Amino acid sequence: MNLLLRYIGEVTSGAWSLAAGMAVTLRYMFKPVTTVQYPRARLPLPEAFRGPVELRRLPETGDHGCVACGECARTCPSGVIKVQGLKARASDFNRARFYFIDFSRCSLCGLCVEVCPVQALMFSREYEQNGGSPQVGVADLLARIREARP
Amino acid sequence: MTPATPEPALRKTLTEETFFLNLGPQHPSTHGVLRLLLRLDGERIVTCQPVLGYSHRGHEHMAQNRTYLQFMPNPPRMDYLAGLMYNHAYCLAVERACGLEVPPRAIHIRLICAELNRISSHLLWFGAYLMDLGAFTPFLYAFDDREDILAILGEATGSRLTYSYCRFGGVARDINQAFIDGVRAFIPKMRARLKDYDTLVTKNIIFVNRTKGVGVISRERAKAHALTGPCLRASGTAFDIRKAEPYGFYPQFDFDIPVLTGGDCFDRYMIRLLEIEQSLRIVEQALNRLPAGPVKAEGVPQFITPPSGQYHFSYETARGHLGIFLVSDGSRVPYRMKWRVPSLSNLSILPVLLPGTLVADTIAILGSIDVVMPEIDR
Repeated sequence: MNLLLRYIGEVTSGAWSLAAGMAVTLRYMFKPVTTVQYPRARLPLPEAFRGPVELRRLPETGDHGCVACGECARTCPSGVIKVQGLKARASDFNRARFYFIDFSRCSLCGLCVEVCPVQALMFSREYEQNGGSPQVGVADLLARIREARP
Repeated sequence: MTPATPEPALRKTLTEETFFLNLGPQHPSTHGVLRLLLRLDGERIVTCQPVLGYSHRGHEHMAQNRTYLQFMPNPPRMDYLAGLMYNHAYCLAVERACGLEVPPRAIHIRLICAELNRISSHLLWFGAYLMDLGAFTPFLYAFDDREDILAILGEATGSRLTYSYCRFGGVARDINQAFIDGVRAFIPKMRARLKDYDTLVTKNIIFVNRTKGVGVISRERAKAHALTGPCLRASGTAFDIRKAEPYGFYPQFDFDIPVLTGGDCFDRYMIRLLEIEQSLRIVEQALNRLPAGPVKAEGVPQFITPPSGQYHFSYETARGHLGIFLVSDGSRVPYRMKWRVPSLSNLSILPVLLPGTLVADTIAILGSIDVVMPEIDR
């Protein structure tokens, strides 16, 4: 008799626990939806968002400020940056002649942005980048600057 | 590969019809690429042998051929679920070796982020574990909460999973008002959610029957296998690096180390929920006393060079005791960096714990131990 009572007690409490769980689910059914329907709606990007690196455009000249010192290329843990500079005259500052980053191997750690002595690099705010081959990831940053210039 | 000899008691019931079953490496509930070579007698497990190394990437070797700063993005990729903690631990280890002073504001920010990361790691475990046991709904709630944490941490760090936020001598950037508001809103929400989890899962009869008394690890056995973290504390030993060898400002905060004595899957589940509560307490206190000031020490050289010698640093991650053993020869590149990861010793209990249990219990036991394979394979 005692065993039977305990069994009935267990069944009742078990059924009650399932019903209580369902009640939680039911309550959330009438709360606002938390999912964002991605291609149609987007979340705002955080201020610190680290997108693929790009050269910063100086507002006064519309050009980049890279002096091709190569500090970013030396610091990069994956060795994905290639930068080379050119001087118009011997007394001039060095200017970047080409600047390539292979984003297919970049882990966006941002060490290049941090070590840049002239703050010529910054994080972009792009995040939908995919492609069919590794070559798609190789970006010519100077070409982007040229395209953006009027 | 010689399978371990079955226990004498089992050998008696052993029939000739035993067979091998590969659980993994692609099994959805082995959480990564763990392969368990199970020898089965019907539904009952005779021996179990974990097979490791599927995601070996050579992180320790990588550390030996790059500067200390260049290794910064690697540690979060070992344990991708608690990346910020690995990042934090690595920075602390190198800072201790160099004797670098960190501004108090940076220490507070690091602690807040690390504790939030601990919560998010436990939440992911919570969701995935219940999914293994066949409950789908809690997974969605856990990921909803985890999404809040990822958004908050994204506000400070700029990434969502493999954060490399800490720097030698501070953090990469200061936190903004959106971060502080986000944390302040998150704490009460999470506390209310924990009550819902109790109703939804902890009292659920199906869950209780599948986990109570399953996979019991005694206190002695837990110690013998060097279990750490929630697995050890669920077996009745109150050991936490945050109390035993404190780093940061942990001694100044008021928080408890939850300890349970059952040692079964249910207690290992319960202890993580209790830890979430304690982490919320730490975050709340750290936010209330967040000092003003710089977030990065001045004059940290780019090529940081610890004086030659051997250093060891312990850290409490979401899974247990992380040890970093660092040998420096005084150059810009580490001579050797050995990582003692918690998951490996936690996994080592499986060959003695699993024999005699059923295949369905294997999933419950394996899930409750919470292994992250990339940190074992490194």
